[in-house]
Amino acid sequence: MNVPRIHGIVLSGVGGQGVLSLAQILLEALRRSGLHALQSEIHGMSQRGGSVHAQVCYSEIPLSSPILDEGGADLLIALEPLEALRYVSMLRISGHLIVSEEPQMDMAGYPPLDDVYAALKAVPGAHLIDTEDLARKLNHRQAGGMALLGMASRFMPVEDAIWHEVIAQRFEAKGARITEKNLEAFEAGRGLIQSPVEA
Amino acid sequence: MVQSTLALGVEAVGCAAFDAGIKGAFGYPGTPSTEGFEAAELLIHGAGDGRVAQWAANEKVAYDLAMGVSYTGHRTLVTMKHVGLNVAMDAYTNSALTGVRGGLVLLVADDPGMHSSQNEQDSRRLAEFAWLPCLEPSTVQECYDFTFRAFKLSEALQVPVMLRIVTRLAHCRAALVRRETQAPTSLGLAPEATVQDWVLIPANARRRYVDLLAKQPRLMAETTPLNRLVPGTARRGVALAGMGRAYFGQLLHENPALVDLPRLEIAAYPVDPALELAFLAQVDEVMVFEEDYPVLEERLGLRGTARVRGRLDGTLPRTGELSPRLLKDALGLEAAARKAATNLELPVRAPRFCDGCGHVDAYGAMQEALRNVGASDARVFGDIGCYTLAAQEPMAAIHAVVEMGASISMAVGAALAGQTPAVAVIGDSTFGHSGLPALLTAADAGVNVTVVILDNRVVGMTGQQPSQALDQVERMVLGMGIPDDQLQVLLPVPKQHDANVAAVEAALRHPGPSVVVFRRECIQSIRRGLLKDHDRQERERCTTEVCS
Repeated sequence: MNVPRIHGIVLSGVGGQGVLSLAQILLEALRRSGLHALQSEIHGMSQRGGSVHAQVCYSEIPLSSPILDEGGADLLIALEPLEALRYVSMLRISGHLIVSEEPQMDMAGYPPLDDVYAALKAVPGAHLIDTEDLARKLNHRQAGGMALLGMASRFMPVEDAIWHEVIAQRFEAKGARITEKNLEAFEAGRGLIQSPVEA
Repeated sequence: MVQSTLALGVEAVGCAAFDAGIKGAFGYPGTPSTEGFEAAELLIHGAGDGRVAQWAANEKVAYDLAMGVSYTGHRTLVTMKHVGLNVAMDAYTNSALTGVRGGLVLLVADDPGMHSSQNEQDSRRLAEFAWLPCLEPSTVQECYDFTFRAFKLSEALQVPVMLRIVTRLAHCRAALVRRETQAPTSLGLAPEATVQDWVLIPANARRRYVDLLAKQPRLMAETTPLNRLVPGTARRGVALAGMGRAYFGQLLHENPALVDLPRLEIAAYPVDPALELAFLAQVDEVMVFEEDYPVLEERLGLRGTARVRGRLDGTLPRTGELSPRLLKDALGLEAAARKAATNLELPVRAPRFCDGCGHVDAYGAMQEALRNVGASDARVFGDIGCYTLAAQEPMAAIHAVVEMGASISMAVGAALAGQTPAVAVIGDSTFGHSGLPALLTAADAGVNVTVVILDNRVVGMTGQQPSQALDQVERMVLGMGIPDDQLQVLLPVPKQHDANVAAVEAALRHPGPSVVVFRRECIQSIRRGLLKDHDRQERERCTTEVCS
């Protein structure tokens, strides 16, 4: 019997970076693609500059557990390098890590940045992106999150049109220009991973 | 395809209450229950059909408001977190005796694992304690469907019904299919003959308690259809509730062999003993997966017919929340292959005050003033809110945090025992919640206590909900009996630091009770412009009327 697989995505970052907002975009895109999807998030104290993480799981079969086990994630999307390292063991052996190189170092005991980068590069299937540089090139300070989403989209069974629809809707209230800038960042990220990969 | 929307589990309860035709929604903010009220509030404000959504000063007030609505024959929802139910306990327990007229559903959100709470008490115990039914959903759709069911049950049995969820379900987002919205209708006031049911003088209360106990078999008949026994071929079984049910359900997809295990699936309490016995007759060993306290585990264990495993025998940790991993380990399922974790040491990134938060300036002034008055081992009694973050190093500015409002009363107690200086720190909303009676006692006791009210003009921590104490704090303080000259209102900004230090110092040196209010709007609230309209209206009012 071939049981449909349950796919998992872990998102991590620092409170205020938009981790939960990205998770919601993923969830909506998966739902519109006809999949069963759940998202889990922890609110409360974590919102205030502490570590934040969310999980999304999806499958062709109905789901009831919003929580992934270690080795249950196909993708780890991290908005901050140290916050990526906390969740590497959530990834299955063949999983991919998509991580921003831009550190948020306003905390006690942040390890030397070179050590953090080295640890990330040692993870098989890691894709690092200099979001600071990208933001400069796109003249869009908050391009990072959308670029990471664009990279992640290469590993997910969601059509282009659906991504665009969901992103446009998400930023609708903020006007056409903001929407355009976010779609541009999404596409820039998408372009960084050339061939779609079977997750 | 059926039309669905995305919703959190806790939001699904609010949506269902609206769709089930509630007249009023009430609550006090508290993670992870807050969005339940807010979902109902959003729909109520959108509907414009005479329904109301009203935050209350505290959970007890919220519960009493709901009881008032029920009295008039309307349906009503009241929301709170688990520790909030402690505050509402008097109203809640006694409402079991009065019973209800219009359906009353209490949404209570437990926080196993204490993601943002001071304990992990299990509200199912409080349902049992009050002889009331409790429904426990395990998915977002069940949150919605069970809420509908809870209203029907409430009206059929004329008792309040508890809907218990936990953090993981409250903050699980998934597709939700809603039903048609019912308009709020009223059953009308209770008939003349039953008015005495609501008057809990001893003669009536004795009668109503007998009535409540007599209702129990009917109540069990109503909850039993939500519980089920799924037979299996193995002599080892599982008893499941809440997230235990959700996690096991998913493991079943991944490990089809688990279907051999007989399952007792519990979604409503009280649980029919006949169902438990029928389940136990099929097994020699049971593993119990439930969130928080070992409620089912104890019940099944006491029967003495099977080896019962769970939190009490060490199969599962005694504290903390369930996880799929804990279930897998207990069931002997192999862990998935995974990437190796890094060897690098990863220090915790603790939450901290927002950049530009006024609390930081207030604490800075307070700590310096304490040093200036020579308090070498100063102990400050804190309270519940964003400002609790000051308990962490390096600030370490508060030295006790227990429950809402405790700061003032504990400081008064310490002062009565001779501790000087005795200092309390409390937020404006927490002050309105339960600091007021404590300050009344402080003024009456006349002891040397300094109460620092950090007034950020909103309920900051839970998402900047409106504070009922907005623009009222000074009048409240004076009204409790604090003398005019012992109330100071300060602006916590770096520029005012020296003046603020001097002001707090004066309060600390004063031999009787004194209050210092640090007022600056929450930085998140400013960013969102939440009080802009309110403040503009106040300014306009002040130009046309005489303002004090």
